[in-house]
Amino acid sequence: MRGVSDPRQARVDYMLKCQGCHRPDGGGDDQSNPPMKHIVAQFLGEPGGREFLVRVPGVSTVDLDNVRLANLVNWTLYTFDAAHMPADFRPYTPEEIGQLRRQPLRLERAEMRARLVAGFTQENAGTHTP
Amino acid sequence: MIGFDKWTERLTRRVARGTSRRSTLAWLGATITGAAVFPVLPVARAASGSPHGGGGGHAPVSSGNPQDPGDQASCDYWRYCAIDGFLCSCCGGSVSTCPPGTEMSPITWVGTCTNPADKRAYVISYNDCCGVSSCGQCLCNRNEGDRPQVRPQSNNDYNWCLGTESSIYNCSTAVIIGVASE
Repeated sequence: MRGVSDPRQARVDYMLKCQGCHRPDGGGDDQSNPPMKHIVAQFLGEPGGREFLVRVPGVSTVDLDNVRLANLVNWTLYTFDAAHMPADFRPYTPEEIGQLRRQPLRLERAEMRARLVAGFTQENAGTHTP
Repeated sequence: MIGFDKWTERLTRRVARGTSRRSTLAWLGATITGAAVFPVLPVARAASGSPHGGGGGHAPVSSGNPQDPGDQASCDYWRYCAIDGFLCSCCGGSVSTCPPGTEMSPITWVGTCTNPADKRAYVISYNDCCGVSSCGQCLCNRNEGDRPQVRPQSNNDYNWCLGTESSIYNCSTAVIIGVASE
Protein backbone atom coordinates (compact mmCIF):
# COMPACT_ATOMS: atom_id res chain seq x y z
CA MET A 1 0.00 0.00 0.00
CA ARG A 2 1.70 3.17 -1.21
CA GLY A 3 1.40 6.18 1.07
CA VAL A 4 0.49 4.03 4.08
CA SER A 5 3.32 4.21 6.59
CA ASP A 6 1.38 2.62 9.46
CA PRO A 7 -1.49 0.30 8.47
CA ARG A 8 -2.21 -0.56 12.12
CA GLN A 9 -2.70 3.07 13.03
CA ALA A 10 -4.90 3.49 9.95
CA ARG A 11 -7.09 0.57 11.00
CA VAL A 12 -7.58 1.97 14.50
CA ASP A 13 -8.25 5.45 13.11
CA TYR A 14 -10.80 3.95 10.73
CA MET A 15 -12.53 2.20 13.64
CA LEU A 16 -12.57 5.37 15.75
CA LYS A 17 -13.43 7.98 13.15
CA CYS A 18 -15.24 6.27 10.26
CA GLN A 19 -16.64 2.83 10.96
CA GLY A 20 -19.42 3.97 13.29
CA CYS A 21 -21.28 5.25 10.24
CA HIS A 22 -19.54 3.67 7.22
CA ARG A 23 -19.72 0.16 8.80
CA PRO A 24 -16.79 -2.19 9.50
CA ASP A 25 -16.57 -3.28 5.84
CA GLY A 26 -17.11 0.19 4.34
CA GLY A 27 -20.45 -1.02 2.98
CA GLY A 28 -22.51 1.97 4.14
CA ASP A 29 -25.99 2.47 2.73
CA ASP A 30 -27.56 4.78 0.20
CA GLN A 31 -29.77 6.63 2.71
CA SER A 32 -27.39 7.89 5.39
CA ASN A 33 -23.74 7.03 4.76
CA PRO A 34 -22.48 6.49 1.21
CA PRO A 35 -20.88 3.11 0.53
CA MET A 36 -17.12 3.06 -0.09
CA LYS A 37 -16.67 -0.67 -0.67
CA HIS A 38 -15.95 -1.45 -4.38
CA ILE A 39 -16.64 2.21 -5.22
CA VAL A 40 -14.34 4.66 -3.50
CA ALA A 41 -11.25 4.39 -5.75
CA GLN A 42 -13.34 5.06 -8.87
CA PHE A 43 -13.60 8.71 -7.81
CA LEU A 44 -9.86 9.07 -8.48
CA GLY A 45 -10.47 8.71 -12.23
CA GLU A 46 -13.01 11.54 -12.42
CA PRO A 47 -12.14 15.23 -12.76
CA GLY A 48 -12.44 16.72 -9.26
CA GLY A 49 -12.84 13.25 -7.73
CA ARG A 50 -9.46 13.16 -6.05
CA GLU A 51 -10.23 16.49 -4.37
CA PHE A 52 -13.79 15.41 -3.49
CA LEU A 53 -12.59 12.44 -1.43
CA VAL A 54 -10.70 14.72 0.97
CA ARG A 55 -13.15 17.64 0.98
CA VAL A 56 -16.18 15.63 2.17
CA PRO A 57 -17.02 16.72 5.74
CA GLY A 58 -16.21 13.39 7.41
CA VAL A 59 -12.64 13.54 6.07
CA SER A 60 -11.87 17.27 6.05
CA THR A 61 -13.19 18.03 9.55
CA VAL A 62 -12.00 14.91 11.37
CA ASP A 63 -9.82 15.60 14.42
CA LEU A 64 -6.67 13.95 13.03
CA ASP A 65 -3.51 15.74 11.89
CA ASN A 66 -2.57 15.78 8.19
CA VAL A 67 0.01 12.99 8.51
CA ARG A 68 -2.41 10.56 10.16
CA LEU A 69 -5.21 11.58 7.81
CA ALA A 70 -3.09 10.98 4.67
CA ASN A 71 -2.15 7.57 6.08
CA LEU A 72 -5.85 6.84 6.73
CA VAL A 73 -7.18 8.04 3.35
CA ASN A 74 -4.58 6.05 1.37
CA TRP A 75 -5.28 2.96 3.52
CA THR A 76 -9.05 3.33 2.99
CA LEU A 77 -8.64 3.40 -0.79
CA TYR A 78 -6.48 0.26 -0.88
CA THR A 79 -8.55 -1.57 1.74
CA PHE A 80 -12.06 -1.02 0.41
CA ASP A 81 -11.51 -0.75 -3.32
CA ALA A 82 -8.19 -2.31 -4.33
CA ALA A 83 -9.66 -3.47 -7.65
CA HIS A 84 -10.24 0.07 -8.91
CA MET A 85 -6.92 1.54 -7.81
CA PRO A 86 -5.27 3.23 -10.79
CA ALA A 87 -1.89 1.72 -11.70
CA ASP A 88 -0.30 5.15 -11.53
CA PHE A 89 -1.93 6.11 -8.20
CA ARG A 90 -0.16 9.03 -6.60
CA PRO A 91 -0.64 8.66 -2.81
CA TYR A 92 -2.08 11.63 -0.95
CA THR A 93 0.64 13.52 0.91
CA PRO A 94 0.06 15.32 4.22
CA GLU A 95 0.66 18.62 2.38
CA GLU A 96 -2.04 17.89 -0.21
CA ILE A 97 -4.46 16.81 2.51
CA GLY A 98 -3.71 20.01 4.45
CA GLN A 99 -4.51 22.12 1.35
CA LEU A 100 -7.72 20.29 0.42
CA ARG A 101 -9.25 20.15 3.88
CA ARG A 102 -9.17 23.93 4.04
CA GLN A 103 -12.16 23.91 1.64
CA PRO A 104 -14.56 21.45 3.26
CA LEU A 105 -17.72 20.60 1.32
CA ARG A 106 -21.08 21.22 2.94
CA LEU A 107 -24.56 20.63 1.55
CA GLU A 108 -23.31 20.64 -2.04
CA ARG A 109 -21.58 17.33 -1.37
CA ALA A 110 -24.59 15.19 -2.31
CA GLU A 111 -24.99 16.82 -5.71
CA MET A 112 -21.25 16.65 -6.38
CA ARG A 113 -21.15 12.98 -5.44
CA ALA A 114 -24.10 12.19 -7.69
CA ARG A 115 -22.34 13.91 -10.62
CA LEU A 116 -19.08 12.02 -10.04
CA VAL A 117 -20.86 8.68 -9.60
CA ALA A 118 -22.82 9.29 -12.81
CA GLY A 119 -19.51 9.98 -14.55
CA PHE A 120 -17.83 6.69 -13.71
CA THR A 121 -21.04 4.67 -14.02
CA GLN A 122 -21.34 5.90 -17.60
CA GLU A 123 -17.72 5.02 -18.34
CA ASN A 124 -18.22 1.53 -16.89
CA ALA A 125 -21.31 1.03 -19.05
CA GLY A 126 -19.34 2.27 -22.06
CA THR A 127 -16.58 -0.31 -21.62
CA HIS A 128 -19.09 -3.16 -21.40
CA THR A 129 -21.10 -2.36 -24.54
CA PRO A 130 -19.37 -3.10 -27.85
CA MET B 1 -56.21 18.29 90.00
CA ILE B 2 -57.99 21.68 89.96
CA GLY B 3 -54.60 23.38 89.94
CA PHE B 4 -53.58 21.34 86.90
CA ASP B 5 -56.83 22.30 85.10
CA LYS B 6 -56.26 25.98 85.86
CA TRP B 7 -52.64 25.76 84.66
CA THR B 8 -53.67 24.05 81.40
CA GLU B 9 -56.40 26.61 80.83
CA ARG B 10 -53.99 29.50 81.39
CA LEU B 11 -51.45 27.98 79.03
CA THR B 12 -54.01 27.36 76.30
CA ARG B 13 -55.44 30.86 76.60
CA ARG B 14 -51.96 32.37 76.44
CA VAL B 15 -51.10 30.40 73.31
CA ALA B 16 -54.44 31.35 71.75
CA ARG B 17 -53.84 35.05 72.54
CA GLY B 18 -50.27 35.00 71.27
CA THR B 19 -50.70 33.08 68.02
CA SER B 20 -53.09 33.09 65.11
CA ARG B 21 -54.63 30.06 63.43
CA ARG B 22 -52.96 31.17 60.22
CA SER B 23 -49.49 31.13 61.68
CA THR B 24 -50.13 27.67 63.09
CA LEU B 25 -51.20 26.44 59.68
CA ALA B 26 -48.13 28.01 58.09
CA TRP B 27 -45.87 26.36 60.67
CA LEU B 28 -47.56 22.99 60.19
CA GLY B 29 -47.30 23.29 56.40
CA ALA B 30 -43.62 24.14 56.54
CA THR B 31 -42.99 21.16 58.83
CA ILE B 32 -44.76 18.74 56.50
CA THR B 33 -42.96 20.09 53.41
CA GLY B 34 -39.63 20.01 55.23
CA ALA B 35 -40.14 16.40 56.24
CA ALA B 36 -40.90 15.49 52.63
CA VAL B 37 -37.88 17.36 51.22
CA PHE B 38 -35.34 16.03 53.68
CA PRO B 39 -34.82 12.56 52.07
CA VAL B 40 -34.32 14.21 48.65
CA LEU B 41 -31.19 16.03 49.82
CA PRO B 42 -27.96 14.83 48.14
CA VAL B 43 -26.97 13.06 51.33
CA ALA B 44 -29.21 10.15 50.39
CA ARG B 45 -27.70 9.82 46.92
CA ALA B 46 -24.13 9.90 48.19
CA ALA B 47 -24.95 6.90 50.33
CA SER B 48 -26.13 4.81 47.36
CA GLY B 49 -22.53 4.29 46.26
CA SER B 50 -22.61 4.94 42.52
CA PRO B 51 -21.01 8.23 41.41
CA HIS B 52 -22.72 8.17 37.99
CA GLY B 53 -26.22 7.33 39.15
CA GLY B 54 -28.10 4.16 38.37
CA GLY B 55 -26.72 0.68 38.48
CA GLY B 56 -28.19 -0.12 41.88
CA GLY B 57 -30.74 -2.79 42.60
CA HIS B 58 -29.46 -5.29 40.07
CA ALA B 59 -27.63 -8.53 40.73
CA PRO B 60 -23.97 -8.17 39.66
CA VAL B 61 -23.06 -9.62 36.26
CA SER B 62 -19.45 -10.77 35.97
CA SER B 63 -17.60 -12.01 32.89
CA GLY B 64 -15.76 -14.52 35.09
CA ASN B 65 -12.60 -13.52 33.23
CA PRO B 66 -9.92 -11.79 35.34
CA GLN B 67 -8.85 -9.91 32.18
CA ASP B 68 -12.32 -8.35 31.99
CA PRO B 69 -13.00 -7.31 35.59
CA GLY B 70 -16.03 -5.62 37.10
CA ASP B 71 -19.79 -5.75 37.30
CA GLN B 72 -21.37 -5.43 33.86
CA ALA B 73 -24.67 -4.34 35.43
CA SER B 74 -22.96 -1.37 37.10
CA CYS B 75 -22.22 1.99 35.54
CA ASP B 76 -18.67 1.78 36.93
CA TYR B 77 -17.75 -1.15 34.65
CA TRP B 78 -14.73 -0.12 32.57
CA ARG B 79 -16.28 -0.53 29.12
CA TYR B 80 -18.99 2.02 29.93
CA CYS B 81 -16.52 4.94 30.06
CA ALA B 82 -18.20 6.86 27.23
CA ILE B 83 -21.75 5.53 27.42
CA ASP B 84 -24.97 7.54 27.71
CA GLY B 85 -28.05 5.38 28.10
CA PHE B 86 -29.62 2.35 29.73
CA LEU B 87 -27.34 -0.66 30.21
CA CYS B 88 -28.55 -3.66 28.18
CA SER B 89 -27.08 -5.86 30.93
CA CYS B 90 -29.97 -4.67 33.13
CA CYS B 91 -32.58 -4.95 30.37
CA GLY B 92 -32.55 -8.61 29.41
CA GLY B 93 -29.55 -8.39 27.11
CA SER B 94 -25.86 -8.32 27.94
CA VAL B 95 -22.86 -6.05 27.53
CA SER B 96 -22.57 -7.17 23.90
CA THR B 97 -26.05 -8.43 22.97
CA CYS B 98 -29.49 -6.86 22.66
CA PRO B 99 -32.55 -7.90 24.69
CA PRO B 100 -34.95 -10.22 22.85
CA GLY B 101 -37.32 -8.32 20.57
CA THR B 102 -34.90 -5.49 19.84
CA GLU B 103 -32.62 -4.92 16.87
CA MET B 104 -28.96 -3.82 17.15
CA SER B 105 -28.16 -0.62 15.29
CA PRO B 106 -25.44 -1.11 12.64
CA ILE B 107 -24.57 2.59 12.88
CA THR B 108 -22.90 3.34 16.16
CA TRP B 109 -20.52 5.58 17.98
CA VAL B 110 -17.08 4.36 18.79
CA GLY B 111 -14.64 5.35 21.53
CA THR B 112 -11.83 3.95 23.66
CA CYS B 113 -11.78 2.83 27.31
CA THR B 114 -8.86 1.65 29.43
CA ASN B 115 -9.13 -1.88 30.80
CA PRO B 116 -7.99 -1.79 34.44
CA ALA B 117 -6.67 -5.36 34.16
CA ASP B 118 -3.98 -4.67 31.56
CA LYS B 119 -4.08 -0.84 31.41
CA ARG B 120 -4.50 -0.95 27.62
CA ALA B 121 -6.98 1.17 25.64
CA TYR B 122 -9.63 -0.88 23.87
CA VAL B 123 -11.82 0.35 21.03
CA ILE B 124 -15.44 0.10 22.17
CA SER B 125 -18.49 0.29 19.93
CA TYR B 126 -21.64 1.51 21.70
CA ASN B 127 -24.30 -0.17 19.57
CA ASP B 128 -27.81 0.81 20.60
CA CYS B 129 -30.66 -1.69 20.72
CA CYS B 130 -33.78 -0.44 19.03
CA GLY B 131 -37.43 -1.20 18.33
CA VAL B 132 -38.89 -1.29 21.85
CA SER B 133 -39.47 1.73 24.08
CA SER B 134 -36.83 2.77 26.64
CA CYS B 135 -35.76 0.05 29.05
CA GLY B 136 -35.53 2.50 31.95
CA GLN B 137 -33.10 0.38 34.01
CA CYS B 138 -29.54 1.30 35.01
CA LEU B 139 -29.27 4.73 33.40
CA CYS B 140 -25.55 5.41 32.95
CA ASN B 141 -24.10 8.68 31.66
CA ARG B 142 -20.30 8.93 31.77
CA ASN B 143 -19.40 10.72 28.53
CA GLU B 144 -15.58 10.39 28.59
CA GLY B 145 -14.37 11.65 25.20
CA ASP B 146 -17.83 12.83 24.26
CA ARG B 147 -17.62 15.74 21.78
CA PRO B 148 -20.11 18.58 21.27
CA GLN B 149 -23.02 18.08 18.88
CA VAL B 150 -21.22 19.90 16.07
CA ARG B 151 -19.16 16.69 15.81
CA PRO B 152 -22.10 14.32 15.43
CA GLN B 153 -19.95 11.24 14.85
CA SER B 154 -18.43 11.63 18.34
CA ASN B 155 -21.48 12.76 20.26
CA ASN B 156 -23.59 10.40 22.31
CA ASP B 157 -26.59 12.67 22.91
CA TYR B 158 -27.98 11.78 19.51
CA ASN B 159 -30.28 8.85 19.01
CA TRP B 160 -28.01 6.26 17.39
CA CYS B 161 -30.90 4.02 16.33
CA LEU B 162 -30.01 4.57 12.70
CA GLY B 163 -30.18 2.00 9.94
CA THR B 164 -32.63 -0.08 11.96
CA GLU B 165 -36.29 -0.83 11.21
CA SER B 166 -37.36 1.41 14.06
CA SER B 167 -35.65 4.45 15.53
CA ILE B 168 -37.07 3.82 19.02
CA TYR B 169 -34.25 3.52 21.57
CA ASN B 170 -34.23 0.71 24.15
CA CYS B 171 -30.72 0.31 25.63
CA SER B 172 -26.98 0.44 24.86
CA THR B 173 -24.28 -2.23 24.57
CA ALA B 174 -20.49 -1.82 24.78
CA VAL B 175 -18.76 -4.19 22.37
CA ILE B 176 -14.97 -4.52 22.16
CA ILE B 177 -13.95 -4.23 18.51
CA GLY B 178 -10.18 -3.81 18.81
CA VAL B 179 -7.15 -2.68 20.77
CA ALA B 180 -5.99 0.92 20.25
CA SER B 181 -2.30 1.47 19.52
CA GLU B 182 -1.58 4.04 22.20
